[in-house]
Amino acid sequence: MIHLIPLLLYAAALGLWVRELVQGPTDRSSLAPVIMTVAAVVAHLVALGDFRMRYGELPLVGPGAALSSLAFVGGLVLLVTLALREAARVAIGLLPFVVVVQGAAVILGIQPSPEALDLQGAGFVLHVGLAFLGYQGFAVASAAGFLYLVQHHELKAKRLGRFFRFLPPLTTLNRMVRIGLWTGFSSLSLALVLAWRWSVEYRGGVEAGDPKVVWALLSWIVLASVLISRVPSARRDYRGAIASVAGFTVVVVTYLVLRLTVGGEGFFL
Amino acid sequence: MQPRMPLALVGVSHHTAPVDVRERLAFTPDEAERVLATLREHAGVREAVLLSTCNRTEVYLFPGVRERLIPAITELLGRKAGKLERGLDDYLFEQWGDGVVRHLFQVCSGLDSLVIGEAEIQGQVREAYERAGAIGVDPPLAGPVMNRLFQMALSVGGQVRSRTSIGEGAASVASVSVELARKIFGTLRGKRVLILGAGQTGELIVDALRRDGAESIVVANRTHDRAVELARRVRGEALAFDRLSEGLARADIVLSATAAPGPIVTGELFAEAFPGGVGGPLLMIDIAIPRDIEPALGSASGVFLYNVDDLRRIVDDRVRVREGALPEADRLIRAQAREFSSWYASLEVVPVIRKMREQGEMLRKTELDRLLRGLQHLADDDLEKVEEFSRRLMNKLLHEPTARLRNEMDHGEGPGMLEAVRFLYGLETERRERGVRMTRPSPDPVDRNKPLGWGRTKEEGR
Repeated sequence: MIHLIPLLLYAAALGLWVRELVQGPTDRSSLAPVIMTVAAVVAHLVALGDFRMRYGELPLVGPGAALSSLAFVGGLVLLVTLALREAARVAIGLLPFVVVVQGAAVILGIQPSPEALDLQGAGFVLHVGLAFLGYQGFAVASAAGFLYLVQHHELKAKRLGRFFRFLPPLTTLNRMVRIGLWTGFSSLSLALVLAWRWSVEYRGGVEAGDPKVVWALLSWIVLASVLISRVPSARRDYRGAIASVAGFTVVVVTYLVLRLTVGGEGFFL
Repeated sequence: MQPRMPLALVGVSHHTAPVDVRERLAFTPDEAERVLATLREHAGVREAVLLSTCNRTEVYLFPGVRERLIPAITELLGRKAGKLERGLDDYLFEQWGDGVVRHLFQVCSGLDSLVIGEAEIQGQVREAYERAGAIGVDPPLAGPVMNRLFQMALSVGGQVRSRTSIGEGAASVASVSVELARKIFGTLRGKRVLILGAGQTGELIVDALRRDGAESIVVANRTHDRAVELARRVRGEALAFDRLSEGLARADIVLSATAAPGPIVTGELFAEAFPGGVGGPLLMIDIAIPRDIEPALGSASGVFLYNVDDLRRIVDDRVRVREGALPEADRLIRAQAREFSSWYASLEVVPVIRKMREQGEMLRKTELDRLLRGLQHLADDDLEKVEEFSRRLMNKLLHEPTARLRNEMDHGEGPGMLEAVRFLYGLETERRERGVRMTRPSPDPVDRNKPLGWGRTKEEGR
């Protein structure tokens, strides 16, 4: 029940942003959705803290718990986005991802992992934290990229309607794509290095067929490809936005496929 | 019956006078000060504010007695305007009482502006009001009535803008251009603007871009001398026309407004400027007719090309949105105007209540003295009780009518009742004693919609 509260608050914040989009933004700051988002993150922190207190472990292992932590990192990233005033409205693109992830966590059940707790060391926490930050960075890039394409379309179509007025400027969205991609890439790279070291040290090597290894490597390759698509040239920004959206979609779809085909109870997400 | 407030407004606006008349009636702050001082001296005016903008010159006055006011203002404005093709009377409009309040609220909300909902007027009204208050005369020209009126007007203007879509989006070619630039680049600081020719609209756009932070402005023209001249006007640099592709390659924003018979920025020139395609976004605004920029360039990646029809269509859409907000804005204004009337009426109720009480107290004392003369045998305690009884009786008798009168005045329904109370309690003399300060002008001001023969009313001007 306690994990439902942040979900409802995230959904309410998304609703408030959508209301602002539909009713037409004003020059006043969008305080209500910002407050709602902050409340959601605080409630999420309390819920995860309660998990830690109740089960004596961090909610990093097991699908429900790990997804909730991933959503929480998304909430933290949202707070950073909201602090960048001009880019705050990127939240309308990022919040659906956070809502879906937390919703999935609640549906799957946020329970302690049946796996041994020897995975709870600082290195593991750092690895998972960095990986989550990597995926959320990619999510930001994807959300900003999607909004970039919408704004680009509005400007090209000379239709200066609700989306045009609501969305941040193209250059701001492009900057968010860049920041999201670099944050995602560097965090995920570090997370993979940590995982590789841990595997070599304690398991004698990396299991190439492990679905989570496959997914992590694929995510890293996709992120790297998206970054390469943004090398200086004509259409760089536009191409980068498309690549971010497409790349993130590939990562999410791959996860779902792996989850539905080979993932089991112990699967980390 | 709602008594009229002795508020008056006389002036010209874009509804009643063409620009050549309005510009003759534009007042500098010093001139405004002199006019207001003269009106106080010769027209029995206590409070006055003069609002002078490019779209209007309006004098707000309190109290305004038509017989004294109109000749004085006509003379003052006539002196300022000089000789006009038609008589000044043909351009003037006037408002009285509640009409003045509604008009000022509409002006401050941008409803009476040339471009509906424009926000600049609010600052201009504030300046006019503050300027009147700063004039060193005693009592100040922005006295209690003008203070309340203008402060409410500024507040109403803010409410109308925040609660309705009256100010939504940019509504001129120049401001739409800036909005486009902002939505592409975010900040315009450091952005480079290339100008090809420029008419009046072009210069307005450049001004607006510069106000928003655009710093580097380069002007190119087939005739280099004209480029130099234009560059001087827009505080930019002239560029030799044969280096146009170079200027194009460096620009973030291109503004084109030449009188050339055909396109200047062609596909060929564009390819020369951007051999590998456009790197960052490029906003191109073509307000020339015939067009200066080949339309096909608009489909190039990273290029956002807007011609004059695109910009006008956007402006028209915005104006339609703003017009849709008029009924709601009008409702807000009417409600606030009623509140002002109630406040003004409350100024009248206080002396009436005071007089009622004074009269009651006088009666109480007279009758008590008469009674006590026949009750000399009573002890002091008993006499005090009798006096206390008389005081309580009077308070109770007056409490209900006083409370109801205040309540009705607060809700804007009381003026008729005030007249009745004056009549019933025999207080008519009170109004005459207070004279012009608190009462309506005598004789009553004319109906603002009645043809006057000396000027058009606002309604007629529309």
